[in-house]
Amino acid sequence: MGKSLGKNPTVLLEKIKESLDRLNEKMEIFIEIQKQGRKQDFVVQDLPEALDVMTLLSLPDHLRKTAVTICKLGRATAEEVAEQTKRARAVESGYLNQLVLMSYMKKERKGRKAYFFVEK
Amino acid sequence: MGKIIAVHSYKGGTGKTLLSVNLAAAYAKKGKKVCILDLDFRAPSLQSIFKLDSSEYWLNDYLNGACEINKVVTNYASQCKCNGTMLVGLANPATEALRDMSAKDRKWEMRALGRLLSLKNTLLNDMELDYLIFDTSPGLQYSSINAIVSADVVLVVSTIDASDIEGTKRMTHELYDLFEKKTAILMNKVPIEFLSTSMEREGLYKRFENTHTLPVLKVIPCYCDVLRARGTEIFTRDYPDHPFTKHVEEIVTKIEMF
Repeated sequence: MGKSLGKNPTVLLEKIKESLDRLNEKMEIFIEIQKQGRKQDFVVQDLPEALDVMTLLSLPDHLRKTAVTICKLGRATAEEVAEQTKRARAVESGYLNQLVLMSYMKKERKGRKAYFFVEK
Repeated sequence: MGKIIAVHSYKGGTGKTLLSVNLAAAYAKKGKKVCILDLDFRAPSLQSIFKLDSSEYWLNDYLNGACEINKVVTNYASQCKCNGTMLVGLANPATEALRDMSAKDRKWEMRALGRLLSLKNTLLNDMELDYLIFDTSPGLQYSSINAIVSADVVLVVSTIDASDIEGTKRMTHELYDLFEKKTAILMNKVPIEFLSTSMEREGLYKRFENTHTLPVLKVIPCYCDVLRARGTEIFTRDYPDHPFTKHVEEIVTKIEMF
């Protein structure tokens, strides 16, 4: 390990950052689950739920704003959503993961970035 | 970038289509590039004004993903006698199409929202339009809420009918506020005797603004001439000096500043 750090510290640091990002994301999901109650309340549907306007209306205000932004952007990272909503990236990441757990959205990783989108 | 305006109301018959068409014509007369889309799939009406019985592609086809929006819209600038661009997209008025649209499921409505949202890119960015006007169906219909979510500005047309005012108030809190939309009220068909002095007019504006907790862009009197035209023509084009036309022109200016 010390050898590769000596050879290419940037690559190693990027890997550490990537791992920390993933860890952070998992922590955010756990925090959301803890806040909202039992895990089963979230992971109930195998099939994706339709994120139509009536569903948007039924969501709590904070999640609605995030969900509408994803509908507008189509596919975006938590950072891109945060830019639109003017909220912190970590906050948006928590809300997006919550929407994924509720089966309204999908999440896909590409390299270091996690993209959120509504499956049509 | 251009703006998307959704013209909506709680009840039917408030004058949404009349105002949508005349707002579009007023923008086009000013040299703006404008497009009006009939999103009232339960009771389409723009085809009566633009005298079109059949079309190769309707807005229904666009929302179904069967064609792109450029196949649906037609330029009516010469018919409107205006300097700008006046694109019109019609909803299919055939009974079969009305039945088909009312039987769509939630997944379809979700995709329709995506198609409407993408009009911002195709019509406002790529085709460089200044205004896109959605003439919607009244109340809490899928198509009208999809239009509201996609719009930048919502104009709510209300009459002085008590149930209309109550319903508009409810929609403000349960719909427009929830989507954080820039919303304004147009009071239409107000009996002219309520507006005979400037004091009465100002009092009425204040009363409506207090009731709706939203800005009232205009209080438009009920004109027999407008009723006589039976919604078959573009009123502001045919009667450029009529007080109704002046009201529409003032609304256009107010929206630009809104």
